[in-house]
Amino acid sequence: MNMSAAVTAPVAIRVHDLHKSFGPVEVLKGVSLDAREGEVISILGSSGSGKSTLLRCINMLEVPNSGTIEVAGEAIRLKTSGDGRSRPADQKQVDRIRSELGMVFQSFNLWSHKTVLENVIEAPVHVLKRPRAEAIEEAEALLAKVGIADKRNHYPSHLSGGQQQRAAIARALAMRPKAMLFDEPTSALDPELVGEVLRVMRGLAEEGRTMLVVTHEMGFARDVSSRVVFVHKGTIEEEGPPHEVFTRSKSERFRQFIKS
Amino acid sequence: MTEPGFLDIISFGADGWGPALAAGAWMTILIAIAGFAIGGLIGTFGAWAKISGGPVVRGCAEAYTTVLRGIPDLLVIYLFYFGGSAVVTAIGQLYGAEGFVSFPGFIAGALAVGITSGAQQTEVYRGAFRAVHPGELEAATACGMGRFLKFRRITVPLTLRHALPGLGNVWQVVLKESALVSVTGVVELLRQAQIGAGSTSRPFDFFFIAAMIYLAISTVSGLILQVTERRFSRGVRRG
Repeated sequence: MNMSAAVTAPVAIRVHDLHKSFGPVEVLKGVSLDAREGEVISILGSSGSGKSTLLRCINMLEVPNSGTIEVAGEAIRLKTSGDGRSRPADQKQVDRIRSELGMVFQSFNLWSHKTVLENVIEAPVHVLKRPRAEAIEEAEALLAKVGIADKRNHYPSHLSGGQQQRAAIARALAMRPKAMLFDEPTSALDPELVGEVLRVMRGLAEEGRTMLVVTHEMGFARDVSSRVVFVHKGTIEEEGPPHEVFTRSKSERFRQFIKS
Repeated sequence: MTEPGFLDIISFGADGWGPALAAGAWMTILIAIAGFAIGGLIGTFGAWAKISGGPVVRGCAEAYTTVLRGIPDLLVIYLFYFGGSAVVTAIGQLYGAEGFVSFPGFIAGALAVGITSGAQQTEVYRGAFRAVHPGELEAATACGMGRFLKFRRITVPLTLRHALPGLGNVWQVVLKESALVSVTGVVELLRQAQIGAGSTSRPFDFFFIAAMIYLAISTVSGLILQVTERRFSRGVRRG
């Protein structure tokens, strides 16, 4: 990852002063974060720190109470409804922006009633209205890229966790997303399957894809990401290039965190 | 008039009751299908109301299922038939018709069966939806699927997979309930058997044959259901 390019590249995702509460619990207390095109940002933090919520706010799986999200310069419009809760003002806009962000979940979330290939072409054909034949061709190339071309007619339940997660990555890539959001993509995997998923993600990073990765994989954060963000109790406690934060962090908590 | 033998009853010949019984069976199937379909529509809305409705909508759905479970199905049919007739009579009188105008028994019956099976289907769909892995629905949301696309492509097939065994039971109930519609004068299978029984001296034969036909219909529909179930549970790991 070329650092100087990352500093001057246009902002792919901008998060500004994000607040999110679940009932009385304030999970995010004013988080701001810019992800430039081509950046790979690892979001670290202990469980309950708000790091997953931060990621899920970006594509409105959680609607923030206040603050702004911009994707490729376009702000997601929110409104406050009668009961005082925050809602998207324009559902169509949210759906369109979601289709521009590829999301990969901890528990894979492949559609169990569809084969791997059907999973990958589903949204390109039905959301983006791309021709089916073209979508299939592209899906097969993506499945080859993540190394499971031979599994294309299998149902997800017949795949290992690592294969399922790679299929889920292919499904996200098939939307030709502007950025990829990974929500603890290896946390549900058996240790011996983590490597195959991280290799695919590393390959995507080397292609120059914009990636936000909530992870516990310190190796990935240190070696692959261009920037590390450490979330603690709903705020960003530490952030910077990995070679800096991992060697000389000013945050005592972050030093504690990477030690454990 | 000569008394028909057992074979005459089932024969499709000149004196046979075959065509009449077949027509009755067909009417039974039509009532059951119409009732089941109406129930499916109501059940879908009912389940949606119970799962994601506000307090008022949820309350209405709750009241509907509770009330319907507490009233005999036969009474629901009477209510629809006579209620419908009262409305039709009132409208008829506006246009100068005289006396009692009867509501079409088929429509009253299908509505009544539909509304009772709708209460059951509400519960079946609701339970089935709860069994769907929420992450799969969230994945559909995350890739930008709109509400209806997600419902059609993801929610319905995943829910049906869990709903089908329960729906099979509902279908059997609906099939049997369709016999109650005979009270409105619709000549379905049971009514036809009664007519046959009344105009010959072989009531047992007629009712026995009707029983066999009901059994045949439910067996065949059971087989169809099995095939459907297998289709919808593709991708479910067994064992």
